[in-house]
Amino acid sequence: MIKDSLNRIWILCMKNVFLYIKKGPVLIFGLMFPFFMTLSWVIGRDISVNQVFIGIIAMTSFFTATAISPVVLPIETREKSLERILSSPISLNEILLGILFASTLYSLIITSIIAVIFIVMFSIAFNSLIVILLMFLGIGLMSFLGSLLGLLVAAHPTDMTSDVMIIVNLVKFPLLFISGIFIPLQNSSPSMIFISFVSPITFLTDLLRFCVDRSNFFAYSFDIIMLTLWIIVLFIVSYALHKRTMPKRLSEAGKSKKKMMMMKKNM
Amino acid sequence: MKTTQNQNLNAHPVAINVLNLVKRFGDLIAVDDVSFKIAQGEIVGILGPNGAGKTTIIRLLTGVFQLENNAKIGIFGKDITKNPSKYKKHFGIVPEISNAFSDYSVWQNLKFSGRIYGISKGKVEKRSKILLTQFNLIEKMYSKTKTLSKGLKQRLNFCLALLHEPPILILDEPTSGLDPISVKLMRTQILKLKREGKTILITTHDMQEAQNMCDRILIINRGKIIADESPNTLREQFKSTSTILFKIGGDLSAEQENALLNMFNIIKEKNDYYVFSSYDTLKDISKLHTFSKERNIKISDLKVRETSLEEVFIHLIKEDLFVIKEDEEK
Repeated sequence: MIKDSLNRIWILCMKNVFLYIKKGPVLIFGLMFPFFMTLSWVIGRDISVNQVFIGIIAMTSFFTATAISPVVLPIETREKSLERILSSPISLNEILLGILFASTLYSLIITSIIAVIFIVMFSIAFNSLIVILLMFLGIGLMSFLGSLLGLLVAAHPTDMTSDVMIIVNLVKFPLLFISGIFIPLQNSSPSMIFISFVSPITFLTDLLRFCVDRSNFFAYSFDIIMLTLWIIVLFIVSYALHKRTMPKRLSEAGKSKKKMMMMKKNM
Repeated sequence: MKTTQNQNLNAHPVAINVLNLVKRFGDLIAVDDVSFKIAQGEIVGILGPNGAGKTTIIRLLTGVFQLENNAKIGIFGKDITKNPSKYKKHFGIVPEISNAFSDYSVWQNLKFSGRIYGISKGKVEKRSKILLTQFNLIEKMYSKTKTLSKGLKQRLNFCLALLHEPPILILDEPTSGLDPISVKLMRTQILKLKREGKTILITTHDMQEAQNMCDRILIINRGKIIADESPNTLREQFKSTSTILFKIGGDLSAEQENALLNMFNIIKEKNDYYVFSSYDTLKDISKLHTFSKERNIKISDLKVRETSLEEVFIHLIKEDLFVIKEDEEK
């Protein structure tokens, strides 16, 4: 029973990776955004390689993780393939987990590739193997967490990806700026440190600081606990919202397409 | 409308048994206490105006929507209410609009479906080739779904629905908007599937299709079943009624047209014929004659014909709306 369920989740995950990895919003918000954000942050500033590494890994992990999960459900609602999946022997949980794993996998692979390239190119040194494992654990947790955040926003029962991406970006950027990537928490005011708790990226950045040069603010175990807590909360809220909005999503399916066609006809 | 005992249900085992189906969207009751049975091997048509609740019934039946209150669904004598997921394999669904993955090829869509239904790779390949040949789609096997025409996409939907060899087929307006060749192919295949013993539930707006293909028809309005009969029985019940058609010689003023339409509850058809149902043909023709003389309206090409299933449908829906209006006024 569990084996069958895991098999279905894996099939859905592979389908999501294969179908959505090349979609415009995924490429723009998942790859181009962190690349240009890093460029604009680094160029003309005296920032150490370690700081750039921490920033680029935190941003890539967060941006790639929030790229696939918000777009799957709106696209599949519009194409009505979601209804096809729901009428086959697949549960809502399996559909959501299929999206989560696809998004996590995509983020994990892209971030790991960038991390390895950066480590090799700039000879970033780590104290021990455990620290490297800790770094990849942090990346893994953030990949899952970011995917959950994208999935949570995708609970909005729309079939337009642009509707969801606007909300995702509206949430993503403030979370990024208060996270301590650009201004380390040591240099921030107490109120800013308090605000930074709202952003889960704070804890990944802090964990990466511990792994790279021990310039962390919190204990690394605290960072891991906070990332895990964020995951639990987002998972519960996201699942509850999807369960609630799914009937509305299905009844709204295709309406925006019809509306657009009507608008084109009237023009 | 009263329903008569369905003979098929006495002769064959019950394939689908639906009890007290209800679905609410906020204040709107989309499906209101719907119950029906379908015998194995039967083709049952669901007819109803747009928004009547046809697709919602299908979504409830196939487990897309969760069941509310005391609703129960039985498939071949087994109650699937508690675990609908387990019984989804019994259904093959053909939607009105293609819901295959548009970026997948025909073959990739079939392969994906096969994996989801737990069919072995070898069997998926074998079944796919049979179905693609049957539906004249084999040449498009490696074409992306988004490049296919509507007719070809619908053929793919049939292949996807039949891949796991389900005993029950649910067809949601399967021939809507298709070219005559595709329509003919679909109808031939549906009748072939019936001969193979499949139980088929079909929603359609095409009355001719319903009349020719269905063993039984459920007419649904505002989420309720208002008729459950064979097409012939339905027409038989309205034998006493006839349809009066006529044309107008010359132009009608807006005032004259309004008066005419209101007087007999007339519908104007696309071919310029004015049509209305009559329980007393001679009396109504005489009334129409007096009415037209008084208002200086010239009537031409007057015909009387037997009531078709389409007219029965329109009559029943109108009657139902009239009852609802009366109830609301009370």
